[in-house]
Amino acid sequence: MFRFIVRRLLVTVPMVLVVITLTWALIRLAPGNFYASERKLPPAIEKNIRTKYGLDQPWYVQYGRVMRNIMTLDFGNSLRYESETVNDVLKRTVPVSAAVGICAYLLALLVGTTMGTLAALKQNSKLDYAAMGLSMLGISMPNFVLGPLLVLVFSLSLYWLPPARWGGFPSRSIVLPVLTLSAIYMAYIARLTRAGMLEVLRSDYIRTARAKGLTERQVVLRHALRGGLLPVVSFTGPALAILITGTVVVERIFALPGLGTYFINANLNRDEPLILGIVAFTSILVLVFNLIVDIAYGFIDPRIRY
Amino acid sequence: MSDERTPQVPTEEGRAQDPWGAQGGPALTPRGTPQKAPVTARRGDEIHAFPETAVGEGDVRTAGEAGPARGTSLWRDAWKRLLRNRLAVFGMFVVGFIAVAVLVGPAIIKAATGFTYDYIPPGQAVSYPPFTSPEGAFSWTHPMGTDAAGRDMLARVLQGGRISLMVGVISTFVSILIGVTWGATAGYLGGKVDDLLMRIVDVLYAIPYMMIVIVLLAFFGGRTPLQQIFLLFAALGAVSWLTMARIVRGQVISLKNQEYVLAARATGVSTPKIIFRHIVPNALGPVIVYATLTIPSVMLQEAFLSFLGLGVQAPYASWGSLAQEGIQNIAVFPWQLIFPGVTMALTLFSLNFLGDGLRDALDPQMRKF
Amino acid sequence: MTARKTTRILTFVFVAASLLAACGPPVQKSEFFGKVEPPPGQTLRYITGSEPESLDPAMSSGQPEARIDVALYEGLVEYHPKTMEPIPGVAESWKVNGNASEFVFFLRHNAKFSNGDPITARDFVYSFKRGLRPELASRVAFLAWEIKDAEAYNTGGAFVRDPKTGRFVLASEAEESGGGGAAEQTTAAATGEDAAPDTEFHRRMHQPNRLFVPTDEKERAKAFKANPKLAALVEGKELVPATADDVGVEAVDDYTLRITLRQPAPYFMGLVQHQFFRVVHEKTVEKYGVNWTKPGNIVCSGTHMLAEHKPYNELVVVKNPYYWDAAQVKLDKIVFYPLDDQTTMMNLYKAGEVDATYNHTVPSAWLRAGLRQASDYMDAPENGSVYWQINTTAPPMNDKRVRKAFAMAIDRDALEKFRVVSKANNVFVPSGILHGYPSPKGYDLDIEGAKKLLADAGYKDASGKFDASKFPATSVEVIYNTNESNRQVAEFIQAQWKQNLGLTIGLRAIEWKTFLSTRAKLEYKGFAGGAGWSGDYMDPYTYLGLFATEGGDNGTGWYDPKFVDMLNAANREPDQAKRYAMLSKAEEYLLDNAPIIPLTKPATSWMKKPYVKGMYPNAATLHAWKFVYIEHDPAKWDRGMPDMTTDQLAEVKE
Repeated sequence: MFRFIVRRLLVTVPMVLVVITLTWALIRLAPGNFYASERKLPPAIEKNIRTKYGLDQPWYVQYGRVMRNIMTLDFGNSLRYESETVNDVLKRTVPVSAAVGICAYLLALLVGTTMGTLAALKQNSKLDYAAMGLSMLGISMPNFVLGPLLVLVFSLSLYWLPPARWGGFPSRSIVLPVLTLSAIYMAYIARLTRAGMLEVLRSDYIRTARAKGLTERQVVLRHALRGGLLPVVSFTGPALAILITGTVVVERIFALPGLGTYFINANLNRDEPLILGIVAFTSILVLVFNLIVDIAYGFIDPRIRY
Repeated sequence: MSDERTPQVPTEEGRAQDPWGAQGGPALTPRGTPQKAPVTARRGDEIHAFPETAVGEGDVRTAGEAGPARGTSLWRDAWKRLLRNRLAVFGMFVVGFIAVAVLVGPAIIKAATGFTYDYIPPGQAVSYPPFTSPEGAFSWTHPMGTDAAGRDMLARVLQGGRISLMVGVISTFVSILIGVTWGATAGYLGGKVDDLLMRIVDVLYAIPYMMIVIVLLAFFGGRTPLQQIFLLFAALGAVSWLTMARIVRGQVISLKNQEYVLAARATGVSTPKIIFRHIVPNALGPVIVYATLTIPSVMLQEAFLSFLGLGVQAPYASWGSLAQEGIQNIAVFPWQLIFPGVTMALTLFSLNFLGDGLRDALDPQMRKF
Repeated sequence: MTARKTTRILTFVFVAASLLAACGPPVQKSEFFGKVEPPPGQTLRYITGSEPESLDPAMSSGQPEARIDVALYEGLVEYHPKTMEPIPGVAESWKVNGNASEFVFFLRHNAKFSNGDPITARDFVYSFKRGLRPELASRVAFLAWEIKDAEAYNTGGAFVRDPKTGRFVLASEAEESGGGGAAEQTTAAATGEDAAPDTEFHRRMHQPNRLFVPTDEKERAKAFKANPKLAALVEGKELVPATADDVGVEAVDDYTLRITLRQPAPYFMGLVQHQFFRVVHEKTVEKYGVNWTKPGNIVCSGTHMLAEHKPYNELVVVKNPYYWDAAQVKLDKIVFYPLDDQTTMMNLYKAGEVDATYNHTVPSAWLRAGLRQASDYMDAPENGSVYWQINTTAPPMNDKRVRKAFAMAIDRDALEKFRVVSKANNVFVPSGILHGYPSPKGYDLDIEGAKKLLADAGYKDASGKFDASKFPATSVEVIYNTNESNRQVAEFIQAQWKQNLGLTIGLRAIEWKTFLSTRAKLEYKGFAGGAGWSGDYMDPYTYLGLFATEGGDNGTGWYDPKFVDMLNAANREPDQAKRYAMLSKAEEYLLDNAPIIPLTKPATSWMKKPYVKGMYPNAATLHAWKFVYIEHDPAKWDRGMPDMTTDQLAEVKE
């Protein structure tokens, strides 16, 4: 186990470096630069800018700078937003994305597992059909359609909730983004739970528990749920990593100052330090989350060995 | 994984399916050994399980009966089972209907009303509600109304369907082609090769794929809208094979140590034959299921790229780009969102049914519920 | 769930959707759009556009930044809320010399920074020279290049001095055409003794313009290649790097600022309104470096000062108690929301979460659905021009007849109807916006004329008539940067050419930065759509000047020294009417060469709640915030657009 963790952590470092290198190469290949705008700059002004940011140096010098930055985990200042360091941006945006993401995931977990468990217990009932039909709809409905529909109803017709913008956490402004984001996860979790529960409810140990004369409630809560929720756990790791690193579309629809918004704009603005910083952060996060899930798995299900 | 992939849920889910892929743990649904397989290992398959579809059909088989030993009958069996699944048949019917409508529809509309997806009527652009004539009376001319430029929505939805379905099918084909080859190689050869190939997949996951698309389009930017669309297929396919490769690899790893493979190896069957006769057909279940999930996934990705201005070129449209456009006008011209949105959701809905049905049909183990 | 049930449910969903869809566009029934409820007190919530790149006025070029900078910093002059003409800011009054090459500003004595420090002429000298520092690398520094020797300093140039005589080589000596112009401008009349006392520096400023060459060796070699005369002039001379002390800005005393230009620039008063020329606090800037604009560090000079800045979320400014005219400033607080998605901002506006938006924020579909009739819709002709550029270096578009033919085959009136907000514009400088400027005859729809031009260019059949099949339509395309309105215009014009000329030209949308790079490098074939230029100031030169620099601004590959000479001659003309006539001639010349296809002049098109007063639909949608306030008495609300026929501002609230 310990060796497994160490090996995985060791391999993470070179992988992040490779990711950064390739991303950096892509940025250099992409046409355009961070300072171009509608008015083409006089060449002399362009030269000033290139000198200021060291873009006139040979590529290996620039690459060396990137590598030094990643080693020290200090990506310097954004090119477009000169007075902001990349680390400032991460510090400010990650909590926003994480707040929305974690709330959405908790909501999805609560509703999804309840729906899934009930559906499994009452298999083939109307409740089951309704729950599963709804979750199928959740999977088929793109969030860029769902979000505006929620806005139309709750903000523009009923005037209950603000249609966009970040009002801090917690606040009313978080409700619609969370709902939009959680719909699809709710659907997945409901289906995962239902399937997991169905399998567990038919297993020998549940039969044994029932045979012992435990009440149905005890059987479900004490024994079945633990096994039935395992698929959900495996889903949680990667899903949470993605949720924390921001979900671009929802952040865009609701104009949230999260990591996703910054990342899209950084790409479109060719803001090299910002892109590299966010890519480094997200890739580390995803790799670590995957690792944590794999480890957690071993604890939950003793049959799994490394 | 870079965050811009997040709107495309099946991708996330696909990732979630296989956190094992990276370290060679138990893979998805190792068939034939249900007792040994940890419950959790089923999670991937279960995500889209709709197991009640099989209930009441009294057709519980064991792995042996439907096993690979029966060769070609696997397919006939699967087809029979699929036809018995009414929801899957329904899904198949809807998808088929939409495919046909999208193929012949534009020509029929042109013949009937003279409208095409790119015809802008002269004068001020007016958006007519569905079934409304310019005078405001009931009319069959525009059953879905017109868009912001006054173009017939029905013609645009059908033409958009062509592109969306094409994007879905071609990109998925590309992803199967690369994904199966990559995954099977990694899984079967194992060891260092496996490690290297899967690390490459991990790295590709983390690279911002928006930058990849920007660079791709800049360097190979199509001269014509059609070329651009094909480039888009390639770009989308090139990134959606990653999850496919992981799934296939997991399958192959779990299958290559199965008794029947060992038996085949013991009797001196050649390696390629083992892979293609014995392993690949058994791994196909998850591949097909994931492929049906990839179709909606790339359709949504295409919509997202259009959202960023990297998708299909005007005056062509896709369901995604039509829906994007519709959202902007949702408060004033709701039909511009509703028709492409509903058509798209209906297609995805049906594809999900079809995918579940296919999975059930190809994976008889699941039918014990 | 059986298939039948599913079918039933889906049928229901579909029918319900159709019904919902069929209920028709919700026509604007109420007088105002959405919720009308003034926020308590004097707080304005305003949408500014994209997140400001920088709050440093010397560093930003865009409108989103300008809207905020107007609140945070004051310049010598401010924008008139209606006419955009310069009105007194820190400068109480100013004097201009005869040919508009020297400006003397008289500063008010009570102007203060937000920390109480007085604002003097020295602060302006510092602000201008700092903006020009090469190491600051401001993108907009070229706006100040009209100031004498500012370009030399900003671009790291060096003057050329004869070591023996100590004489500097003059710019006129290097002019390829011999240059009578340079000699002429040296005789420019000074503002005279009555404006400000003559000084040593001032006399130096009235020496003829000195030649400067790049200090950097490689750059200099390049310059020599471009102008062989230079090498001979520099040979054997010493190079004297230009410094900040050479720049033609002078604090004659604490409250008198003199700016000398290198050549006459009648539009300069419009230029000094730009944020680049607004005053910053020297000690703060020097102390904090790049972080000086952070809340807590920043010291402001405008009506308001920065209280909070949460990027991509909100920026809060509060009233500056030290502002010289603080009694007139009514808004206690302005909250700027950086947003650029139209739907999102219209939703916020409708829900009453914001009080006003910036220009071009109302989607045209919404206007068609009746929003235009709402009493809170604001619209005004804009100081802007939308045009397509043509790559004039590649065939078949290197033939000006072909270019003109394409420009003539567009029905701009139909385009106007189609676009709803924009107005047709058949010339480059938007017609009817700049008072007194006579627009030349532009491109009118002339299909036969266009066909004839194309036939003349060789695309004809045996009988000499235009033959569309002869034209290499596939080797031409339209590129445009992705956005909704660009796409609509492109689709419309594609349809026009198809209809009028029988030519189908392909469209290709590309992402913004790729677009800019493709256009700048002339890597496109045919047309580059999506160019729109909002004037930096109210003068035709802000448009025509775009095509006056080689490899500079235009992205068309078209550069004509004759055109540049025409512009320079016009700028030397002191009489406004004559100057405009000369500029008009130059524009005519430009249109005849057709490096661009003018299309429309945009309209401002934005929304403001009726209780927001003192905010006017002016041509640039820049608001001097000291005139804006929240009116809590519904009887005094604006119903419809505020009166723009007089310069009079809304009555001051008691």
